[in-house]
Amino acid sequence: MTTATASKSNGRKRAPARKQDAQATKEPTAAIEHPTATVLIIGAGFAGLGAAIRLQQQGVRDIVILERAEEVGGTWRDNQYPGAACDIPSNLYSFSFAQNPDWSRSFSGSREILAYIQGMVKQFNLRQYIRFGKNVSDMAWDDQSGTWKATTDAGEVFSGRTAVMAQGPLSNASFPAISGLEDYQGHKIHSARWDHDYDFKGKKVAVIGTGASAIQIIPELVKEARHLTVFQRTPAWVMPRPDFETPDWNKSLFRKLPMSQSALRKALYLIHESMALAVIWNSPLTRLAERIGRWHLRTQVKDRWLRRQLMPDYRIGCKRILVSNDYYPALQQPNCKLITWPIDRLSAQGVRTVEGVEHQFDCIVFATGFDVSNAGTPFPVRGLEGRLLGETWQRGAQAYKSINVAGYPNLFFTFGPNSGPGHNSALVYMESQIDYIVQSVRAIQSLGLKALDVREQVQADYNRDIQQRLAKTNWNSGCKSWYLTKDGFNATMYPGFATQYANQMKELVLKDYRLIKAD
Amino acid sequence: MASIDLDKMLEKIKNTQWTLSDVDWDAPGAEMITEEQWPKLKAFMADLMWIEHVGARAFAAMAKKAPNDTLKEIYTYFHAEEQRHANAEMALMKRWGMLEDNELPEPNNNLRLVIEWLDRFADDQPVYVLGTVVPMLEIALDGALCKFLLDTVKDPVCHQAFDLINADEARHLGVGFSVMEMQGHGKTYMQLVRMAAQLMDPRLILGIASYFPLLNKMRDNIVEMGLPEEKLYEAMKKFEKIGGRTEDGRRNPWFQIIKQHGRVVIDRRNRFYHKPIDALVKVADLIPRKAFPAVPSWVREITYRPTA
Repeated sequence: MTTATASKSNGRKRAPARKQDAQATKEPTAAIEHPTATVLIIGAGFAGLGAAIRLQQQGVRDIVILERAEEVGGTWRDNQYPGAACDIPSNLYSFSFAQNPDWSRSFSGSREILAYIQGMVKQFNLRQYIRFGKNVSDMAWDDQSGTWKATTDAGEVFSGRTAVMAQGPLSNASFPAISGLEDYQGHKIHSARWDHDYDFKGKKVAVIGTGASAIQIIPELVKEARHLTVFQRTPAWVMPRPDFETPDWNKSLFRKLPMSQSALRKALYLIHESMALAVIWNSPLTRLAERIGRWHLRTQVKDRWLRRQLMPDYRIGCKRILVSNDYYPALQQPNCKLITWPIDRLSAQGVRTVEGVEHQFDCIVFATGFDVSNAGTPFPVRGLEGRLLGETWQRGAQAYKSINVAGYPNLFFTFGPNSGPGHNSALVYMESQIDYIVQSVRAIQSLGLKALDVREQVQADYNRDIQQRLAKTNWNSGCKSWYLTKDGFNATMYPGFATQYANQMKELVLKDYRLIKAD
Repeated sequence: MASIDLDKMLEKIKNTQWTLSDVDWDAPGAEMITEEQWPKLKAFMADLMWIEHVGARAFAAMAKKAPNDTLKEIYTYFHAEEQRHANAEMALMKRWGMLEDNELPEPNNNLRLVIEWLDRFADDQPVYVLGTVVPMLEIALDGALCKFLLDTVKDPVCHQAFDLINADEARHLGVGFSVMEMQGHGKTYMQLVRMAAQLMDPRLILGIASYFPLLNKMRDNIVEMGLPEEKLYEAMKKFEKIGGRTEDGRRNPWFQIIKQHGRVVIDRRNRFYHKPIDALVKVADLIPRKAFPAVPSWVREITYRPTA
C-alpha cells in the first residue's frame, strides 16, 4: 500500500530515458575495474539514497551507488503517468530523518515525491557517490578478497566490502501474458514507461488492468480521450481517499515547529498500524473495512450491474487495497466503458474478448504492474562457491529478517523477502532495514570481518515462524495476487505490525551470524 | 457422460475461441429465407437470442458461487460465450433484415420475468440449483430450437454460425453434467436436507414461478412455429438420459427434481400441472409493459456488431 508513482501533476515532459534501454545499443568497452568501496549500493531510489544518508551520518563515506538511469528516484522517476500519486500520506511516506514541511497535499503526486528525493540528494550531498548509467548485469562474491563484484552490461567492475541490493521490488515493467501482444499495430504504452509525447485527444483508448496504477490513470485519461475502455479481470477493494491541499498555515507551522510535523507523523503511523487489524488478519475490523468499501461503492455507483462488476469477491486485504475518490465516477462518464469479459487475444487493431467482439483502439495502456522478483533477482547474484541466488530461491525466496541470505555474506537486501507492508508506509520498514545495514557495516568495520554470513539454521527457523504466521493472514486466504508465487508461496509480505518489524530489526545479534575475520 | 478434467476443459475452452468477425455476415445466402418464413423466424430468433442472453446471466451468477477457481473461470468464460451466441444470433437477425440499426428485440413477458428474477436473486442461489436448471434449459430449449432452426433454414451463414455455437454448447453441457455428478458425489441424506432448506427459500420459489411458465410458453411458441412438440420432448429426455448415466449423477437430488419436472412438462395429460402453469403464462402475457421496472443494464450489453 505504498508504492505507486509520481505527481498529480500531469507533467508532460519525458522522464529520463533508462540507461538499461540505452545500453542495449552500446558496444561493450574493455573491462574497467574500480577501487573497492566499503559499501556498494545498487539503485539510487528511496532505499539506496536513504542507506547512503544514514551511512554517511555514521561516518561511512566510502560509498558507491550504481544507478542504471541518468537520474535518481527509482520508481518515482519511472512512474510519471498522469495522476500518479502515492497512496500513503506524504507525512508518513517520507524519511523521518529528512522531513519535508512543504508537502502540497496530504497524498502527494509523483513529481513532488521525485522532487523530494532530488532535494535529499542535494541536501545530503549524495551525488558524489552516484555513478549514473551503470546497469548491473551480474553480482558475485569473491571469497578470496572478501568483496562483492558488480559487473555492468558495459563490462565495468565495481567492488565493495559490503553490498546493498536497493534495486527495488517494483522496478521492472511487466506486460500481461495475453496472446497476440505483438500483433497489435496501434500505440502501446506501459504505465511505468509513460509516453509523454502521445496526444490522447480525440483517440479511442484502452486501459488493461484495474490495479493501483490504473485507478490513478483512468480518471485523468477519461478527461482527454474521445473514448476510454477499461478491461478488468479482478475488481479491487477501493476505499475513499482523504486527500486535501495542505493549507499555508500548516506548512509554516511545520517549518517553525518541526515537532508538530513529527507528532502528525506519529499519529498517522499509529492510525496505519491499527489498520493492520483489518488488513492483515481476519477480524471484526476486516468486516468493518469491507462495509466501508461496499458503502463507498454503493454511494458512488448507482447502476446495480456495474456495482456487481466492481464488487470484489475476496476478503479485503487479500490483495492490495486501493484508495481513490475519482475512479468510480470516471468509469461512469459517458465516454468510458468497463469491460469484464475475459480477453481472448490482441489483434492488429485492438482487443478480442470472449463475447465475440473486437474492441478497436488507437492506443492501449498496459497498467499491468511489475515483475516482482519473488523467485529471484533481476540479474544473477552469485554467493559462496558460486551458488546462484535464483537457484537458492527456486522454491520461494527466503531471507533472515528479510535482509540477509545464508551463503551470501555481507549482502543486504532492502525490500527483501517478507518485508512488504500491507497497511503502513513502506518507508517505515525501509528505515528499519537501513539502520540494520548501518549497524552491520559498522560491525564489519570495527570487528575487522571479512564476512558476516547469517547461519542457515537461524534463517530456516526465522522463516518457519514467518510462514506459520503468514498462514493465518488475509494474504493467504485464497485469492491470487502478486504477493504470492504461482504455487501460492508468500515470499513478499511481513505478517505483523510495522512496530514488530522495527523491533526485530533494532539489534544486530552477532551470534546469528558466522563471523569470518579478515586475514 | 463420465466426469471431465476441468483444468483440461478450461485449457480447451481458451484454445477454441472465436469472434463475430470470423463469420462473413454479408456473404450470399440471406435471400434463402422465404417470405413465409420471415415473420415467424423473426419471433423465433428473438426468443432464442434472449434465452442465450439469460443463460449468460445465469452463468455469471454461477461464477460467483463456483466451488473452485477453475470452475469459476470456466463459468466466467461460459457467461461470455453465451453472450457471444446471443450476439451472433442478433447478427443473423440483422443479416436477415429483422433489426433496424441499434434495435434490440423485445423479450416476451415470461423472459422479462426471468430477467428480473436473475437480476435480483440469481447471485444468491446455490451454484447447484442453477447448475442443474441451466443444462436442462440448454439441452431442451437451446438444443431443440437450434436443431429446428438448422432443419428449416438453408442459409449457409446460419449453419456456419451454429457450427461454432454448437461446439461451445457441447462443452457447456459437458461441464454442466460433470458438475451435476460432482454434486451427487456425497451423502444423500445431507443433500436432501440441504435441498429441502433451499427449496424453502422464497427467492427460489419466485425463480421456480418464472421458470415453469417459461417452459410452457416456449413449448407454445415452438408449436406455433411448426416444430412438432415431440422434438422438444425428445430433447428434454436427453437431459434425463445423460444426467442419469452415472450413479453420482442420479444421486444428485436436483437432477431428480428437474428430471421429474421434465416428465411432467412432457405429459400433456397432467392437467394438475399444465392448467395452472398455462394460466400463469396467460397472466404473464397480461402484464402491461410499463409494469416492469427498467431493464437491467446488462441486458443492453448485447450487440450484433463484430467490432466496437
